[in-house]
Amino acid sequence: MPDARMAADVHNKGVFWEVKNGNLAPSDRLRQDRSDSPTPGLVEGTEPGAGQEGAMFVHAQSFEDLTAVSESNTDDNSAEVGDSNLESAQEAALEGGEEESLEAEQEEVGKEEVQSRKKAKEEDVTSETWRSHRKHVFVLSEAGKPIYTRYGTEEALSSIMGVMMLLMSIVEDKKNIIRSIHADGYRVVFLRKSPLILVGVFQTNCSDRELTRELQYIYYQIVSLLTLTQLNHVFQHRQSYDLRRLLAGSEHLTDNLLRLLDRDPGLLLSAVMCLPLASSARDMVSSSLQAAKAKNLVFSILLAGNRLVTLVRKKDQFLHHMDLHLLFNLVGSSSSFRAGEGWTPICLPKFNPAGFFHAHISYLEPASDLCLILVSTDREDFFNLSDCKKRFLERLRRRNAYQSLQEALNMPSYPVSQVGIPELRHFVYKSKSSGLYTSPDLPAPYQGEEELERLMGLYQQLHSCLHNPTRLLRYIYRCADTENLYALVTSGFELYLCFSPLGTKSLAVSAVNKLLKWIRKEEDRLFILSPLTY
Amino acid sequence: MLMISPRMASGMQEKQYTPSLLSFFIYNPKFGPREGEEEKKILFYHPIEIEKNEKIRNVGLCEAIVQFTRTFCPTKPAKSLHTQKNRQFFHEPEENFWMVMIVRNPMVEKPNKDGKPPTVEYQEEEIIDSVYGSVLQQCYSMYKLFNGTFSRAFEAGGVELLTQKLEKFFYRYLQTLHLQSCDLLDVFGGISFFPLDKMTYLKIQSFVNRVEESLSLIKYTAFLYNDQLIWSGLEQEDMRILYKYLTTSLFPRHTEPELAGRDSPLRPEVAGNLLHYGRFLTGPANLKDPDAKFRFPRIFVNTEDSYEELHLIVYKAMSAAVCFMVNSAVDLSREFCEQLDSMVGPHLTLLASDICEQYNVNRRISGPEKEPQFKFIYFNHMNLAEKSTIHMRKTASVSLTSVHPDLMKILGDINCDFARVDEDEEIIVKAMTDYWVVGKKSDQRELYVILNQKNANLIEVNEEVKRLCATQFNNIFFLD
Repeated sequence: MPDARMAADVHNKGVFWEVKNGNLAPSDRLRQDRSDSPTPGLVEGTEPGAGQEGAMFVHAQSFEDLTAVSESNTDDNSAEVGDSNLESAQEAALEGGEEESLEAEQEEVGKEEVQSRKKAKEEDVTSETWRSHRKHVFVLSEAGKPIYTRYGTEEALSSIMGVMMLLMSIVEDKKNIIRSIHADGYRVVFLRKSPLILVGVFQTNCSDRELTRELQYIYYQIVSLLTLTQLNHVFQHRQSYDLRRLLAGSEHLTDNLLRLLDRDPGLLLSAVMCLPLASSARDMVSSSLQAAKAKNLVFSILLAGNRLVTLVRKKDQFLHHMDLHLLFNLVGSSSSFRAGEGWTPICLPKFNPAGFFHAHISYLEPASDLCLILVSTDREDFFNLSDCKKRFLERLRRRNAYQSLQEALNMPSYPVSQVGIPELRHFVYKSKSSGLYTSPDLPAPYQGEEELERLMGLYQQLHSCLHNPTRLLRYIYRCADTENLYALVTSGFELYLCFSPLGTKSLAVSAVNKLLKWIRKEEDRLFILSPLTY
Repeated sequence: MLMISPRMASGMQEKQYTPSLLSFFIYNPKFGPREGEEEKKILFYHPIEIEKNEKIRNVGLCEAIVQFTRTFCPTKPAKSLHTQKNRQFFHEPEENFWMVMIVRNPMVEKPNKDGKPPTVEYQEEEIIDSVYGSVLQQCYSMYKLFNGTFSRAFEAGGVELLTQKLEKFFYRYLQTLHLQSCDLLDVFGGISFFPLDKMTYLKIQSFVNRVEESLSLIKYTAFLYNDQLIWSGLEQEDMRILYKYLTTSLFPRHTEPELAGRDSPLRPEVAGNLLHYGRFLTGPANLKDPDAKFRFPRIFVNTEDSYEELHLIVYKAMSAAVCFMVNSAVDLSREFCEQLDSMVGPHLTLLASDICEQYNVNRRISGPEKEPQFKFIYFNHMNLAEKSTIHMRKTASVSLTSVHPDLMKILGDINCDFARVDEDEEIIVKAMTDYWVVGKKSDQRELYVILNQKNANLIEVNEEVKRLCATQFNNIFFLD
């Protein structure tokens, strides 16, 4: 039975992240070290925002650590997976079945989305407009068949994609691997993730490493719709298969993910932002979610837009931040979930690329931004989870927590002025041990789309400089005409600060301590310090 | 180049290989456009032993990559290709003439137990594109200095003459590349200027004027002291590559016999019956030799417009060297050389000792040099002036730096960052090794400082760099 297998998977003690995560939970000793005036020299686990009960996420120092392990893991998994699972995966996607909700969703995709998609599609691929896009992404099969393009139609680009395939294989014929092509002002990055090939054309200054990470996200986005097992199976069956048949209607998910990659620092930092909320209110919400459990429920996640309100998980099961980002993306790119309760199969590729989970997705109220995701291992669990939601809502209302939640949601996050550091325009702070980050509302100069992406581009650049593996840095201070930036990495946190050009170096230095102190004071509100399990 | 790493795992050695040249080729896609004629495109290929079809395939890949990138920007095709094992650099110095250099990534060879072949790990992020891209451009400039442009050779003697010239030049030149020690200085390709007081500078100028007046054949003159430039009549770009040739190739080949006495003023008793120390570094080694040949290397300058071909006469007395350039149409005779020797020799010898004395006086005034807390590289894009206290010695074979290569790479990264935008910028970083690196870019000037002050903070580092700017570059304004 596929269900039994999935359940077994969830309980599988041998999964890779548990080893990884073994030492991530702060020890008791460290917990007592939560100084009110933290300094940059503090130890991991004592930084502001570090969880007190242990981590919610699987996380590793670098992205590649995880992918490397998970890939070998994938092979094991698919080897273990019996025929029954393959059948179920196929059944799921090929014969409709669980696809229904995905299809239903397609129909209901907001008009706006369809229109923007259409517009991007109609573009002439030889035009200057097409060339001038800052970020192109192409996905193709190993036979060179187009699967996805961000701008233009796959048909019009099929010959270009054929060339990409060819370049890749010429280099590979020499027992070598193509990584990227650099030209003035742009670069082309190649990534083979069998059975898919991803190519990005980026007008950016970031390192290839950052850009490859973005392509990885796109790859996992596709896996999350199909599972890797099914993906492999389809192409083993027929090399020239047109994968667009299976992915039809899901392009807007990839489109939206690409937008998130440009705008959401969480995807850059491998971290998640929380909705600022009084800890008493958050605890109430968490415990209500905890109480609304069901046999096959693995994760209960409450989102407010792209911010996390709370996450309750089955004991010993950890969610990877990337899987959570994919869930964010799923919810954020479809308006269909507003219409009622959604029920969709979803693969969380970092958890297990071989099988589907089943997600119950619904908004607490049609007009609200609060979206509840209940992830189960059982495909027949819809009514159970629907019941969980009801119980959760009842509990919330009984304790009058719903009101405070709604209020928090209506408030802007917090302005940077609250921190009280002159000339500070914006910052991003990530607590390494909890995998959570916090950041104030964007101030005036960065509110336009273009300016926001420019700021994120600057952070991205700093991130690539700090994390270049052969020349790691502790601090980087960069002053230019438009803003002064200061970024630092310690064993406990990562911090990116953006000052006005009037900010001085001494201001920047003192700002760090002041900011850490402020975050410590506010950490109850800004972070989830005591994540719950059931 | 092979270096044995000091880290030895259980008695087995880990081998570290530095970047090295895999291949270098020049092609023109217009020369063999039809199928079956691909070999005709290839004008030069190193190493020569490579099998024909392999060459054709490699050139084909480059063409495909350039063509592919034109899809995304027709005017800015690929400049480099990154692969796991190597980097390829593309340069189109003249229309349709492509130069390609393939550099192997540095790698570590780790021995395996049980007689398994060693594991090779490529270090893919070590090589900095701008450094090797500049090396490739320099290859062309150097070729052009001695051979003129590709298209002129092609017009004059067809593919045959061109390939002949290419082979003759690159066969030797490629052996002098030394890719393992390339760094930021290759990106700048700057000129080190000799600091001089006004009086002495005027003396040199009047010397140049006088020589040019009496020997009217001389078209251009350049004056160097101690491998540093003082005066040049050439266009900047031409002087840049000539300077590179002089300081990394010609001068090191003629290590001075008089080097020992360089710092002392002229002592006639040592000179014996000689009237001066002057001698030709190009052309005849000994004027008295009846079989002496009066052949000088030819160089090409102003190739963009007037396209001049010149004889390059380099004449040296003690640490002073002068380049005289004469139209190549003129045959240089023994008489001319003797005249030049007798006129320039004594004068230049005197001038050289004057400069030397002046230099020593200035040094004494500035006080004894103590080991500074910092090292720096300065470059000015406007006059190509370059100054480095990081490089101890720069010769054809090695560029010895006094800092760790990883720090040099951080400098390279900062430089790439600066190159992307026009506006002034400052970047200060602290590496994991606790060194501070400061980069400043201000109005066409770039300054890079490395500080070894582990416990300093950002503010102190900033103060230190301010002090440095005040003492070393007091007349230059840097964005604060």
